Amino acid sequence: MTREMLTGNAAAAWGVRLAEVDYVPVYPITPQTEIIETLAEWISDGMMDARLVTMDSEHSMITAAGAASATGARAFTATSSQGLLYGFEMIYTVAGWRVPLVMVNVSRGLSSPLTLEPDHNDVLAIRDSGFLQIHCETCQEVLDSIILAYRLAEDERVLLPVMVNMDGFYLSFTREPVEIPNPEEVREFLPPYRPKHAFFMASQPMAQGVAVLGGSAYSYFKYQMHLASLKALEVYGEICAEFEREFRRGYGPVEGYMLEDAEYALVMVGSFSTLGKKAVKRARDRGIRAGLLKLRLLRPFPEADLRRALEGKRAVAVLDQNISVGKGGILYSEVASCLCNSKKRPVLLSFIGGLGGKNISPHEFEFLFEKMIEAFEQGTLNGPHLLYTEQEWEEMSLLKRTAEKEGAA
Amino acid sequence: MLSLRFHGRGGQGAKVASRILGTAAFLEGFYVQDFPLYGAERRGAPITAFAHISEDPIMERGVISDPDMVVVMDETLLQDTRAKPLSGLRKNGVILINTSRTPEEVTADHGVEAQVVTLDMTKMSLTMLGEPILSTPAGAAAARIVGIGEESLKEAVENVLAGILSEGEELDENVKLALSVFLAVTPLDITTVEALPEASPVIIVPFEPAHISSPTINALGNSPLRKTGNWRVFRPVWNREVCTKCMACLARCPDGCISLDEEGFPCVDYENCKGCLICVRVCPAEGIERVREAQVL
Repeated sequence: MTREMLTGNAAAAWGVRLAEVDYVPVYPITPQTEIIETLAEWISDGMMDARLVTMDSEHSMITAAGAASATGARAFTATSSQGLLYGFEMIYTVAGWRVPLVMVNVSRGLSSPLTLEPDHNDVLAIRDSGFLQIHCETCQEVLDSIILAYRLAEDERVLLPVMVNMDGFYLSFTREPVEIPNPEEVREFLPPYRPKHAFFMASQPMAQGVAVLGGSAYSYFKYQMHLASLKALEVYGEICAEFEREFRRGYGPVEGYMLEDAEYALVMVGSFSTLGKKAVKRARDRGIRAGLLKLRLLRPFPEADLRRALEGKRAVAVLDQNISVGKGGILYSEVASCLCNSKKRPVLLSFIGGLGGKNISPHEFEFLFEKMIEAFEQGTLNGPHLLYTEQEWEEMSLLKRTAEKEGAA
Repeated sequence: MLSLRFHGRGGQGAKVASRILGTAAFLEGFYVQDFPLYGAERRGAPITAFAHISEDPIMERGVISDPDMVVVMDETLLQDTRAKPLSGLRKNGVILINTSRTPEEVTADHGVEAQVVTLDMTKMSLTMLGEPILSTPAGAAAARIVGIGEESLKEAVENVLAGILSEGEELDENVKLALSVFLAVTPLDITTVEALPEASPVIIVPFEPAHISSPTINALGNSPLRKTGNWRVFRPVWNREVCTKCMACLARCPDGCISLDEEGFPCVDYENCKGCLICVRVCPAEGIERVREAQVL
């Protein structure tokens, strides 16, 4: 084991290298490109025994990666934002093939307007596809999650692809100390992929991704994917326990921070959770019994863990780094659906923040805790509320004036 | 925890400087996080990079708006209204500036309340590396000021630059440069006061109609208003005695800054020339000289 300063992207590349992946079809896009550049360099220098192929688009890239998975090769690919959407059709298709592909998405806000910085509308666009989703807060988590993801995807009870997500810039380009485990130890935890599941071979003709006209067959296959995804929760628990024994790092489907005795809980995802944790600590200093729940798995959705962690709280605020235009925060709805039948249901608030990588200042977190207390004590609820400051509005007004927007405030 | 912010121009090495500092602090056993911020930036455009150094796990992500120390790798950025390199600096914080001037002169000019350190990094780089690349001196000076040891700095320079430089000789030159910077500055006591920024209230964003709220720009092109001439370290100067009017420079200028005067000689728009010096390299007659900006002024 060595400990090095690595970016999220470099940590992802290390995860792939340690997983001893066979095949990597690639297509570049900021802020992901550093992952495939690193892999290309290692493969070219003979430090990694894999085949890397540059493709003509993300659509072809995901097709190639899924097809390779179907042959029994261990495949990897990565994308971000517009690239993920360009390959969107194949995301559903590959998930339906029931192949254990692992992908990394480096989150970046979707156009229009165009941006480079992160929010989660890209990865949540594929929420319903059948891909499992692991969301990372630290660079270490990125490396470890890729290794976990192959174990999970390749498990005979699961056989669904996994998307490991990290935030562009805030994790992808951020260096922090990362432990790189020994290849032998990883090999023991994640042996070479020897599928019992049927797969493409030269001498064994078979059909993959067949057409099924008539809804009963279609319903059967779709529902089996759903059951496999739910089964993945159980498998994930087993795998994480084993990972923790081997590598002394534990990753539950959810992670609580100062949550147990908390009266007011914040629900977050991804790298901004670090800022949420700091805000929780500061709130505690001010005498507020605050806590944070980080969702690591979004698919399968860890309903039972989430309910157990949040029942009986005075108020819970879901801070969505995404926006479902015309509805509001996507995870708010998901959390609400978990809690709505609970007798110990907390008051639930919805906030949207960090869109396009917008910083969330300590003051905005304070506002959020104030609103939770207000909602509990006075029963006032309004929202979804966008976290946006007066100063940001003034800066936006200046931009509008520069763009000569007539009648702008 | 110490939080540092580097301000440089694309290509000067702000990101690498932050990594040299970050790796050096990591080697000393600290928790470290470093992070560059650039969008679709070009060579010469202002960029920032950040580093947190702490004895405890770091609970930060993203930009540093209230640094303990800023490293200004290009003095012209002090006047840049977008870069604003001194913004948010904590009380009693440190400003390290790449300049030939004294701390007193800089303090008087900019009315700053901070510990000012000046070092002519460009001159040192030009002398020792032959190029105005500032990653090593800026990273080394910052590391020295925050109190990092010589061995960790040396190892960090080797470690970070090994992946970038192909020639061992260049690496040795950079290590030598780092060590001479190490001797040129001294560690400072950086005990700052948290300048809690005046909290801007969270507002309810009102509805605005699409003619305002769609991301269109009605104003005619305003990029000509943004002069990029102050990005230069060197300016190209033509020697008319040697120039054959072949127009290779005009054809290759990536910014269309070169035109012909009435006699057919190339002339350059210095308000926008970024000093990339491609013209110097492509001139078959070797008739374009690079002249250090400070010496022109």
